[in-house]
Amino acid sequence: MILLLCAAGVLLLGTLLALVLPGNNARIGASLLAQAVSTALTLAAVVPVLTGGAPLTARILWSYPVQSVAFHVDALSAFFLAWSAPMTLLGSIYAVGYLAPDLRGGRNAGPHFGLLAMLQLSYLMVYSSLDVMVFLLGWEIAAVCAWLLVIWSYSNQKVRFAGFNYLVSTHVGLFVIAAALMTLHAQTNSMDFFAFGAKLSEPGRLRDITFLLLGVAFALKAAFFPMHTWLPRAHSAAPAHISALMSGVIHKAGLFGFLRFTLLLGEPEEWMGWTVLAFGATSAVVGALFTTTQRDLKRLMGSSSTENVGVAAMGFGVGYLGLTWDQPALVALGFGGGLLHILNHAAFKCLLFYAAGAVYRGAHTVDLERLGGLARAMPRTAALFLIGGVAIGGFPPLNGFVSEFLLYRALIVEAPQGNAGVAFVIFAACLAFAGAMSAFSVVRAFGIAFLGTPREALQGAPAQDPPWTMVAPMALHAVTVLAFGFVPAVGFALAAPAAGLFGDTAAAQEAISTVSLASGLTALAVIVPLVVGALIGRRAPRHVTWGCGYTAPTTKMQYSASSFAAPFAALFDDWAPPLITRHLPDGLFPQREGAYASHHVDPVEQRMYEALGQGEGVVRSVVGRIVTEPRMVFAAGLGLVLLLAALTGDRP
Amino acid sequence: MTALRLAAHVSTLAALALVVPGLIVRTKSLWSGRRGAPILQFAWDLRRLVQKTPVYSQTTTVVFRAAPYLALATSFAAAALVPVSGRAPLSFSGDFVLFAYLWGLGRVALMLGALDTGSPFEGMGASREATFSTLLEPALFLLLGALCLAGAEPNLDALLHHRSGWPQGLLLSALTVGALVILVQVESSRMPVDDPTTHLELTMVHEVMILDHSGPDLAALELSSALKLATGLSMIAAALVPVKLSYSPFEGAVLQVASVIALAVGFGTVESLFARLRMRAVPAYIAVAVGLSALALLVGAWRGAP
Repeated sequence: MILLLCAAGVLLLGTLLALVLPGNNARIGASLLAQAVSTALTLAAVVPVLTGGAPLTARILWSYPVQSVAFHVDALSAFFLAWSAPMTLLGSIYAVGYLAPDLRGGRNAGPHFGLLAMLQLSYLMVYSSLDVMVFLLGWEIAAVCAWLLVIWSYSNQKVRFAGFNYLVSTHVGLFVIAAALMTLHAQTNSMDFFAFGAKLSEPGRLRDITFLLLGVAFALKAAFFPMHTWLPRAHSAAPAHISALMSGVIHKAGLFGFLRFTLLLGEPEEWMGWTVLAFGATSAVVGALFTTTQRDLKRLMGSSSTENVGVAAMGFGVGYLGLTWDQPALVALGFGGGLLHILNHAAFKCLLFYAAGAVYRGAHTVDLERLGGLARAMPRTAALFLIGGVAIGGFPPLNGFVSEFLLYRALIVEAPQGNAGVAFVIFAACLAFAGAMSAFSVVRAFGIAFLGTPREALQGAPAQDPPWTMVAPMALHAVTVLAFGFVPAVGFALAAPAAGLFGDTAAAQEAISTVSLASGLTALAVIVPLVVGALIGRRAPRHVTWGCGYTAPTTKMQYSASSFAAPFAALFDDWAPPLITRHLPDGLFPQREGAYASHHVDPVEQRMYEALGQGEGVVRSVVGRIVTEPRMVFAAGLGLVLLLAALTGDRP
Repeated sequence: MTALRLAAHVSTLAALALVVPGLIVRTKSLWSGRRGAPILQFAWDLRRLVQKTPVYSQTTTVVFRAAPYLALATSFAAAALVPVSGRAPLSFSGDFVLFAYLWGLGRVALMLGALDTGSPFEGMGASREATFSTLLEPALFLLLGALCLAGAEPNLDALLHHRSGWPQGLLLSALTVGALVILVQVESSRMPVDDPTTHLELTMVHEVMILDHSGPDLAALELSSALKLATGLSMIAAALVPVKLSYSPFEGAVLQVASVIALAVGFGTVESLFARLRMRAVPAYIAVAVGLSALALLVGAWRGAP
């Protein structure tokens, strides 16, 4: 424990030095050095816990009103700390390269790098404290740091708006979490999580309400549908490394909080498991659906975060049901798969955001409609993006496949009999659909941005690969993705102790050894053709692309990101209609130039504002449609029946 | 024994992949009153292609060169999980997930290869392929989950061979075969989803994605889709024929291969008698597969209920 306290001290010192030292190099150096030292200290502290050591505990006495602060680092905390700290360090290294153009322009790097060190401190507080005050303080530090880091380009009004949007959303979540914790405090007259546990494990209305409040708060933090609206906006506004850290690392605190309280919950009730599972599946499918139409590469990645936390939550839902039904295989595969997916997602999502940042620095835009043919100008970025993309699509032999395999095992192979089994298989199909849509968007994003020919003459310098400070963190993440995929046991060794807190992990271990075989075989089947393809035909004759006899193709003829997504998006037009702005030329001899633009905006956000702004009108129009449109009559009737069934059904 | 089974699997698979396209073409020829090309024409075409020097578009990168071989390797690896000659050489609990994702990886390679050319036609084909295959994915998992619930061992081989009692078992088998037929038609680009013999690029799905590939690369792609077709037909055959596991391996293999040949003739007949669907109607056709799988799920759960 003393190591973690030292790490916290080093981080505070690093932040201070980053703020007061003269010169950007010294400020950045101080922050990076402090983060490196604290990462080493953190790893030295948590690795024994992950390898079977006893949990670290400490109690610090303090003056009023804090009085005493309890710390407890068990395998769950250790798991989260073990990758959060090094990944944030890599993000900070990436920041050196990414922010270089701004820093050369005279910006002060001190606050930004100081805040990055503070982020590390917030992990230490959130992941290791047992005390409500320290937990909430860490939670708040993370939120405010993230906000300040997002608005690096604060002179842009859109960035300020995105930052403010995020700040408001995260504080709405804070109110909810404070409500839940204060309810528990009022019942137990204690600030200690373990004291809450005693109250939380008693079935009753209090437990149900607290569970829902905590669920909403943590879901808002982790950007579950329909509480994700702040996320794509913040991700597209923030510098790439902040987007990466927010998506991959910082907001995983929401899932950590959820799991921490799961451990205190004792045996959950059945409805909790189903709620989490259904909620996760909805997030996975809707998040993936949003990724298929996004034009902005970073927004696309942001929506994909909603999908991936949904996938992890599906695992937790299965684990909950396993705890309720006393099915150790479901517990092991559910929590094991969910935790592993969190880790895997952190690895490939950071990689993809970093690659998107490299695209931004190289080509000065992340709008897919303007990008094209980057693979020639930025071969390293292209290769790294492709690795991350194949991993996020869940394809073997990369790491995304491993965690999804565990979830499929839980949902199909270990499915219970009867109606619950039908539900499980339907959820498996949801997972498959989300996975397929995610593969769709990867093909679209990589194919449109990196392949083909450049779409527009790029402004400024020609695109090129970023400096090594940006490539090295990407390469390390790519190595992680490859290693966890080729040798699944490595990744699972990190997640297994944490999963072990919920129950015996034997079933997950067995599945991991199976998937190791599968990954090994696939790796062989993939590497050979890649080598063959790379070697042959380098000297073969070249010609223009076949255009059915037309030999003067131009880039304007290329399929664009929107046209690629059009057939699929058309199927969901009713629910997520594109926002189209048209200024068509008129008359036989049009005087003005025409323009046409289509965007897929977030339908949830759009409707939220619509309902808030013109609430009465929306209600009136919906009510008006109920009596005129048959399908609305049907939907309203179904809703009524469900409501009646819910009200009159038996309550245990 | 394992080596023998593997050898039987590989040789049967290779033979079927070379013969099945020819069989379909011959069936179509007979239906339209022509004599038709030799059954092994496909194999001769492959040999001819392998001897040629490929030509690459100036736009393409290494992605384009590696894609055909990746597609071929994944098709071949995925086939190892499917009973082609009697029983599958490789089976483990949950292997159908690997199967689905291997085919998915092959598709990704194919689509990226197409987008690498920068051709509008190939982009169009990739877009269609991506749309259809995304919609199809839930059908496969619903179907396999249904068979799992019905009490089969959770691996592809056992799931396809699963038989349960009258009448639910028969209903389940019928739904399985129905869903699998649509699945194979979509996955291997057969009518009524895609017409492999059409000559207008705007109406193609699979063929338009390989417009720019030539020589050995084209051969690899053609072989890859033939392997997928042979694998898919073997899956239907395994679900269709009344294979009892007490058969000797040889009898099982003969029965299975005979069914695949019969299915190829059946596919040829379907292609002769029906026109290709309009592109906009294909999602509805895929929805039929999802619906059949969902029905299978209900039937499977009914069987599985204690």
